[in-house]
Amino acid sequence: PTEPTRQRKEKQPFEIDFAAPLDPAVAEVIYTQASSNSTISMPKKDWKSKTRNLLPDDKHFSSKQLLSLFLKPKARMGRRRVLGGSRIGNIDAHR
Amino acid sequence: RKVQEACCYEPTSIRKPASAAATAISDFDEDDFNTEFVRCVLRVMPVKKSEGVGEKTVRFIGLFLRHAIDKDNEAMGELDEDASTMPETPGTRLTGHLMETILPLLTAKDKFVRYRSTQLISHIINSLDAIDDDLFQKLRSGLLKRIRDKEAMVRAQAVLGLGRLAGNQTEAEPNSDDSDDDAASGLLEKLLEVLQNDPSADVRRSLLVNLPILPSTLPFLLERARDQDAATRRAVYSRLLPALGDFRHLSLSMREKLLRWGLRDRDENVRKAAGRLFRERWIEDCAGTPAPAETGQPAEVSPPNLDALLELLERIDVVNSGGENGVALEAMKGFWEGRPDYREAMVFDDHFFETLSAESVFVVRTFNDFCRNEGNGKFESLIEEKLPEVTKVAFYLERYIKVLIDAIKKAEEQEAEEDDEEEDTVEQEFIVEQLLHIALTLDYSDEVGRRKMFALLRQTLSIPELPEEATKLTVAVLRDICAPDVAGEKEFCSIVLEAVADVHDTIVDDLPGEDVNDDESFHSARSEVSSPSTPTRSGKSKTPELSEEEAAAKAIKEIMINMKCLHIVQCMLSNVSGDLQQNDHLVAMLNNLVVPAVRSHEAPVRERGLVCLGLCSLLDRSLAEENLTLFMHFFSKGHTALQITALHILTDILNVHGAQLLSSNPTLLKVYVKALRSGAKHPEVQAAATVAVSKLLLGRIVSDHDVSAELLKTLVVAYFEPASAGNQSVRQALNYFLPVFCFSRAENQDLMRCVALDALHTLYNVREGFDDDDADVDDEMVSLSTIGACLVDWTDPRKCYSPPSAGGGSEGGGDAEKKLVNADVHLDFARDILERLGGNAPKEEKKIIASLLGKLYVSPASSEDKTREVYAAVCDAVENQLLSDATSRNALYKLHVGLGKIVNSLDAAAEGAGG
Repeated sequence: PTEPTRQRKEKQPFEIDFAAPLDPAVAEVIYTQASSNSTISMPKKDWKSKTRNLLPDDKHFSSKQLLSLFLKPKARMGRRRVLGGSRIGNIDAHR
Repeated sequence: RKVQEACCYEPTSIRKPASAAATAISDFDEDDFNTEFVRCVLRVMPVKKSEGVGEKTVRFIGLFLRHAIDKDNEAMGELDEDASTMPETPGTRLTGHLMETILPLLTAKDKFVRYRSTQLISHIINSLDAIDDDLFQKLRSGLLKRIRDKEAMVRAQAVLGLGRLAGNQTEAEPNSDDSDDDAASGLLEKLLEVLQNDPSADVRRSLLVNLPILPSTLPFLLERARDQDAATRRAVYSRLLPALGDFRHLSLSMREKLLRWGLRDRDENVRKAAGRLFRERWIEDCAGTPAPAETGQPAEVSPPNLDALLELLERIDVVNSGGENGVALEAMKGFWEGRPDYREAMVFDDHFFETLSAESVFVVRTFNDFCRNEGNGKFESLIEEKLPEVTKVAFYLERYIKVLIDAIKKAEEQEAEEDDEEEDTVEQEFIVEQLLHIALTLDYSDEVGRRKMFALLRQTLSIPELPEEATKLTVAVLRDICAPDVAGEKEFCSIVLEAVADVHDTIVDDLPGEDVNDDESFHSARSEVSSPSTPTRSGKSKTPELSEEEAAAKAIKEIMINMKCLHIVQCMLSNVSGDLQQNDHLVAMLNNLVVPAVRSHEAPVRERGLVCLGLCSLLDRSLAEENLTLFMHFFSKGHTALQITALHILTDILNVHGAQLLSSNPTLLKVYVKALRSGAKHPEVQAAATVAVSKLLLGRIVSDHDVSAELLKTLVVAYFEPASAGNQSVRQALNYFLPVFCFSRAENQDLMRCVALDALHTLYNVREGFDDDDADVDDEMVSLSTIGACLVDWTDPRKCYSPPSAGGGSEGGGDAEKKLVNADVHLDFARDILERLGGNAPKEEKKIIASLLGKLYVSPASSEDKTREVYAAVCDAVENQLLSDATSRNALYKLHVGLGKIVNSLDAAAEGAGG
């Protein structure tokens, strides 16, 4: 009746010795019941989660919002659009 | 390991002795075998979770039992599938015996015994097809208790078994009696509750993938797409949703939400999983491949199929999700990225463009965007190959604009049954918008195409019926077509303003009996806008023959046209950057259209005029100065939206023209501070103000020390105070801004140090004010010591970016340098703290700030004078027993020791140099 038995060498792996008699200490571990239900249970206050463990609404804040103007989102802050490189060819169009 | 070995001869020999004690290696009877089997199983119970052997053995046991029972059933021959009672066999007897033994272990004191026994039972439940009814009840109630186990690992296992039980019972529902139904739904309910509330993400995730997918559970499962845990969110996209089958069973809004949440998740892996779901599974559902059997991989990828893609886009309601900021843009970007087969297969020929729908135009628009913006230009050849040239695009655009305008006019005529028409114009509008988006990306060096497009858009802009979004895009394309230089900008302005004049003239044209007052339409604009707005009076004074009704209609029409003109102007101004005074067109427009609008009695006209005036102010400093008070007035007197607009204008003005305006205008600072504190009443205003002030500080627009300190302190308080707990816009903006601000410059860090203790003091008071009556303060506000830790962290000089020193060229020297960072900031912080500790702050507050002393960073690289000075102060504090409680003293001692060492070595160095 010793179906799963003998383990072998290999980098001294963790072994379960099924053949050996049950170590009393281990037996105690196995059979010792918890003193009360509450000692092995989650405290009741953790049963409910206020947020349902959900993320808050993501606002996707990004650096872009800090670097652009509110009214002209395309223009970058801090410097005016560089004028020049005219297709018409007159670079001194500024007058 | 021996497990496998046993496995080898188990099917043939071991099982049989169990059943018959006949073909045995040895002749033990069934009871002996069972006892022995159970004895062995017990050995597994104390095995720790980390040992893989434990799980292997558990799996083996499950496999063995299943096999044994299968063989038993085989041996018994065909059995009645519908039999209500299970036949008893050696296999079931063994199972029963084993379970009876293991059940009590579920409540063992040792957590690993509980873990293994729960794991075993759940695993067996999942291995077997059927279980004896009595046993079933016992297992169920045993496992149910374990979903509240103290250990997450135990809960995760319990949930695995129960998920299966819940699934089984609901399947059997029609046949079972009422009590069973209740029990089953009760079980499901409990599990759903755990799914929402369990603090361990592993437990939630394990439920997510193991609960049966039912109409009643689905909303709860999908909700996990917003779980706090990234791996759980990912599981929704990579496991739950693919297992769900055809996505078209989901509601439209759910599809959109799932896509949006997934593609914009903060975690990259979630985004990837969502992208894959869209371009591999959802498209497949539309391409019509039969859904793969539960086990199988997606059988074969269907070949590219335009109709499927169009259907997919329809299913995500592209008219709505494909607008600006819509998630369909991201979805399609990922689609083109991940589906080269579709990229290649697309054909955008005449027929395609002649029969555009919302879906197909979106395909070509996103394809165009993708090829132009991604892959560093390597897809540009695809555009050459597949997309028509500018002239043709203009041609199609013209055609669809005409369709749109006709549809709008028709809809206006028969307003009665507007529903259908409405929908139609929405789609036509969408098509035009998408074509304009394409037009925005074209290369206008082709002169013929450029002229064609230019003329078309100029003409289009004069149509009063053109919807706002299309107007905005038309103006933007026009700006692109004109040269980017000053002359081009002038040309652009004059063209747009011509169109505005055309639009304005329609007031005149459309109203018979109205006298054409003069040729310059801007003058008429002024007279219209500034004329008394009460319909009756204007009606009487000008055209007495108009009935009251007609007069009212006319007034409304006037307002509409004025709004339209202002909108075009606003779009134009957003694209202009030159000097206002240098551009006569703009000056005329300002005086004749914008200024009268700001004075209008009609609120919508006035507000739009305000935005235009703001935009003009960005182009001219003196105009900005003159109108600063006006903008502030709108802030203090306006409604919420107007307040936000005013804040935007003011902030942009400061950004463009510099902060002197702020320093010379104390009331302006008050506007900001007030806005930042407006959270309770107007959270949106507070949010706008937060971003605005963040910009001013980060861009170093505000230079005045006291002003910046005041603003920064207000921000810090707003970040922590409970009033903003529900204001995610504020929290998330600050969560980004505060560390970035502090760590980007040493000066910023020092500013934070200056305000830190004041802010902490304010927050202390906030908390004190709460403690008495509100027990929930902990939920709304983190503890003061956490806040203190944040402040110390933000001012930690090691985290501050320091520009690479001019001399040191190597980049690898970072580590050595990091160890010797100048820590003057924290020395100053220490001095501030000691000062406060000597003052008359409340005892509790002193305790908190004293504990910060121990967290400060000290470094020999700090300046010597400061080190000595602070050390002396610390020594004083130690000698005078400034601090009474042990924790505070320890923090002080820690700093004392740290500084002491440095001072000693300084002394030694000085001596060395001297002697």
